[in-house]
Amino acid sequence: MTPKILRSTALLSCVLILSSCALFKKKNGAGGYGSDSDTVGGTPLPERQEGVSFMGDNVDKHKFPPVHFAFDSYAIDSSDEGTLQSVAQFMQSNPNTVIIAGFTDERGTPEYNRGLGESRAEAVRDYLLHHGADASKIQTVSFGADMPVDPASNEDAWAKNRRAEFGVVK
Amino acid sequence: MINTHSARILRICLFALAFVRVARASDAPVITVSKSDTISIAVQPISGPDGSVIAKVLQSDLAACGYFTITSPGSASLIAGGSSSGSELDGKVNDHGGRAAVAGTYNGDARAKAHAFANDIVQTLTGNRGIAGTRIAFSATRTGRKEIYLADCDGSGVQQLTHDNSISVGPSLSPGGGKLAYTGYKAGYADIYLVNLSSGTRDRIIKYPGTNSGAAFSPDGSRIACTLSKDGNPELYVCSLNGSAHRLTHTPGIESSPTWSPNGDEIIYSYDDHGGPQLYRISSSGGSGEHLSTGFGYCTEPDWSPDGNKVAFNVREGGSFSVAIMDLHGGGVRTVAIGERPVWGPDSRHIIFASDGDLYMMDVQTGRKKAIVSGIGHAAEPTWAR
Repeated sequence: MTPKILRSTALLSCVLILSSCALFKKKNGAGGYGSDSDTVGGTPLPERQEGVSFMGDNVDKHKFPPVHFAFDSYAIDSSDEGTLQSVAQFMQSNPNTVIIAGFTDERGTPEYNRGLGESRAEAVRDYLLHHGADASKIQTVSFGADMPVDPASNEDAWAKNRRAEFGVVK
Repeated sequence: MINTHSARILRICLFALAFVRVARASDAPVITVSKSDTISIAVQPISGPDGSVIAKVLQSDLAACGYFTITSPGSASLIAGGSSSGSELDGKVNDHGGRAAVAGTYNGDARAKAHAFANDIVQTLTGNRGIAGTRIAFSATRTGRKEIYLADCDGSGVQQLTHDNSISVGPSLSPGGGKLAYTGYKAGYADIYLVNLSSGTRDRIIKYPGTNSGAAFSPDGSRIACTLSKDGNPELYVCSLNGSAHRLTHTPGIESSPTWSPNGDEIIYSYDDHGGPQLYRISSSGGSGEHLSTGFGYCTEPDWSPDGNKVAFNVREGGSFSVAIMDLHGGGVRTVAIGERPVWGPDSRHIIFASDGDLYMMDVQTGRKKAIVSGIGHAAEPTWAR
């Protein structure tokens, strides 16, 4: 994203200040540093439901395909918007909680990858919130570079592993 | 234990050597390290039932600490020896004239007594803490899953701590090594667990919604800095050991891997906004982060040295990772090895890092390195108790 677009995004954010700014907050550049607010950069996650996790038996992990990311990026790819819109529509018409799990490829160091995976899950969550999903029905988790779908060390495998998956709680 | 006249003289000599090195470094970028940087010491037989084990461990500790060259008594500047009753070791180091440089009484089993004597020798003669017998922890995949393991800093006595058959990673040992915090996925989310290593009890202390990871104990052991995403984005927090969290950062990017200054007032961490993580420094009570310029485009997992003067971290060069060290006073950065996740020992002289699934210890003053942990699957993410 060029500085020019960043500036226009910031301007647009100001114009739309009374409406929901969920779409813009990830792009808000330097604006958030040192703020006193506790919600800059995101809507707080709801409390977890006891006994419900992405690894649980009561979670359908194949209802929606994963969405993918560029190297070292947590920006939503426009080619995944179809998937994301179908998740958002599903959430609007069903009461199920959805757990978004973020993953990275094996490049990058472990703790940084856990942060990057979480940011991918949160970017997907922001998209869903902006498209009508209820924040109280979404949990996130990052596995970093653990649990790759393809353990090989090549570009194909890395592209497959940089992903966010959806776990629909039954 | 005693700090005699000759000990003081030796200490002054070591400081003088250090000064000479610094002076050379300011004239030219090449730092020459010669054998004259070490003191020659001989370890004489130690009397008592466990004396031979003590002498052997002591000699190995003194050789490993970097300050000494082991020689025969005839050519040594210092002679170490003593007597052990089994429960107690009376250790003594004399100079050539027979004057006591170090003397003390040490307790524990044979190895513990030798380590305590070696650390007392290092502390008395150099003013720096010794690393003998200090503890490390790391994650490894021997069982097929990532579990946490403990060992001595020389890699001996490896022992598996967790048996969760899940993902257990990112360990942090408390000062003194009595507690260990780590990121565990046992409950299906990334949570921070605290293990009391003497009692074996474990608590899931930080379990907010989202991902809880990157635990780092404060220098007094009373708090844990970490990354939490409960407010919708990975941010830095300082938590008490009962889990209450105080937020430090407010940014749109990814904060990770906090590490504390020796006095606990500041934290250095990695911050990434749209690719290319960089090192930042922030007050441990919060505020604005200040960028630390390293000259590298990818800097992660910093570790602040116990003496406060240096930070070790990962840099990516081409496709692989190198261990880099930044001088916080001069600002100079140098890479010292291929590998990742460097952590400082209590002496601020040795680091341990991971490379290709093995752990290495390096003396950053001499560049000497050796493998300390290998053959237990993929070992990674070491932590070293201070």
